[in-house]
Amino acid sequence: MNLADWVVLLGAIVGIALYGAWRTRHVRSLNTYMRGAATTGWGTIGLSVMATQASAITFLSIPGQGFESGIAFVQNYFGLPLALIVVCAVFLPMYRRLNVYTAYEFLGQRFDQKTRLLGAALFLLQRGLAAGVTIYAPAIIISTVLGWPLDAVVVFTGLLVIVYTVTGGSEAVALTHKWQMAVISTGMLTAMVVLLLRMPDGLGFTDAAHVAGALGKLHAVDFSLDPSRRYTVWTGVFGGLFLSLSYFGTDQSQVQRYIGGASVREGRLGLMFNAVLKIPMQFLILLLGALLFVFYQFAPSPVFWNQAEWRRHAEDDRFRAIEAEHRSALVESQSAIRAWLDARASDDPAREASARAAMVAASQKDGAIRAEAKSALAAADPRAKTKDSDYVFITFILTELPHGAVGLLMAVMFAAALSSTASELAALGTTATIDLWRHFRPLAAPDEARNVRVARRFTALWGLFAVAFALFARFAENLIEATNILGSIFYGVLLGLFVVAFFLRRVGGSAVFIAAVAAQALVIAMYFSLNIGYLWYNLVGCAACTGFSVALQAVLPPRAGAGGSRGARASEGRVG
Amino acid sequence: MTPDPRPVEGSDIEPPDVPGFRTWPGVYLFVFGWFVLVVVLLTVFTNIFS
Repeated sequence: MNLADWVVLLGAIVGIALYGAWRTRHVRSLNTYMRGAATTGWGTIGLSVMATQASAITFLSIPGQGFESGIAFVQNYFGLPLALIVVCAVFLPMYRRLNVYTAYEFLGQRFDQKTRLLGAALFLLQRGLAAGVTIYAPAIIISTVLGWPLDAVVVFTGLLVIVYTVTGGSEAVALTHKWQMAVISTGMLTAMVVLLLRMPDGLGFTDAAHVAGALGKLHAVDFSLDPSRRYTVWTGVFGGLFLSLSYFGTDQSQVQRYIGGASVREGRLGLMFNAVLKIPMQFLILLLGALLFVFYQFAPSPVFWNQAEWRRHAEDDRFRAIEAEHRSALVESQSAIRAWLDARASDDPAREASARAAMVAASQKDGAIRAEAKSALAAADPRAKTKDSDYVFITFILTELPHGAVGLLMAVMFAAALSSTASELAALGTTATIDLWRHFRPLAAPDEARNVRVARRFTALWGLFAVAFALFARFAENLIEATNILGSIFYGVLLGLFVVAFFLRRVGGSAVFIAAVAAQALVIAMYFSLNIGYLWYNLVGCAACTGFSVALQAVLPPRAGAGGSRGARASEGRVG
Repeated sequence: MTPDPRPVEGSDIEPPDVPGFRTWPGVYLFVFGWFVLVVVLLTVFTNIFS
């Protein structure tokens, strides 16, 4: 990185953060602090929802996923548009009607306070840890590649987000999200254009896509019913539906993004904006990764992408021999690709099939050499991190993009880290203030200024907790999956609480509370004893919580005042 | 503790005010149709390039 890159990076990241803090420094109303400006329109809400979900992991790991495994991961998002329709039709109107600050307040009104506290605790537990991952995940990659101190990157990111989130709360978060999304969109578009321009002569987009497809990288949809397959249409639609419903309907970091605003219409259109754009956006990011795979069949590439890790261990002759084999395999692969493209143009099916087989074999040979490199690394040091796909895109950024653009793409990573962390901290602070502090200190409720002060302190405390967690914790190697797995373990039960609340009005607080605890224990036991796709835990947790609730309600005494609570009354004629 | 429920804010009464759509179910149907179209296009994409 040179001076131009630093100017772009710091100008974009620090500039947006300071602008957000300065514009919202006078926020004194609890409503504005927790729900944002009352005039917020659907565009801001839509971008804020998108920026909250798209963390730096999205832009570092997903291209790596496309590079290594192809674009089948896009199916994970198939449940998202369907979930957002349900959130728009059922969840959002209810939250607006009850005028709640958090989703868990609704549980308190519908059931009882212990169920509200359980919902809030599940959220605080999983989102509090996830906030640490959100800061740590890009920091470890960026610091490794650039040689920056990991702790410095974590502390810089953490303190920057704490400053503007604590200052302006939800209003600052929404304001900065708009500009951060502008940086992210511009940066990713730039990376895609540069990638296509730097493809070898004679290899346009269509040819590159055909090569990627022939090498198994463009298999977007899989209708297989095999439950052991991680990404299929069915896991995406059903597992993804439950994951998205939990995330958008019950996770305060998302609920807080759309319950404010000028009206229900603005929130709904903001969510529909995401329902329409999310799958195409993820497809393009994965496609970028698949095209990077083709690009690096022709450009010099390391045998192991995490070069810092490789250099730390790879000193003997065996590693030099692996590197030489890789270089030789790449030359072979390039020739095979050229031969296949010529064969395709020749209209000779037999020649094309033969050249295709040779190309696939050459690619597999290089894949085997890469696998051998990982094995050698693991043999040299069993603690070595052998997962390197997260380092592909950032290596491309640093070695292939022109100066200025490098700074812009680094700003993309930091903007994404800041945007998702800000939503998480605002939500954690709001939930801790409303569902814990004000619950146990109800007399403090009328004191508006005191509530804002307390909310600021809780937001800052969660920020410091996230930074501490990022500094001291060690995580699973595949960063994006680690956060998804963590979410899937807790989200299903949380969603189950809300499904019972919305659709099973005969079930009372005690039944749903015991059912949720039992369902959570079941999911954790299954996670440690079974080997199934983690998205299914969303469905299992939700189904177990719902089923146990119905069964328990059948044997428990009928709940007092069934259907008479404010939440239940408000839901009449709207759901169920 | 929680502010009073909003009196009339009509989730289904309030029109989407989007050109071409008079009701929210119409908007949802459009989004669902878009989703189906995207899945179909991805299937075609897979068949062309895989």
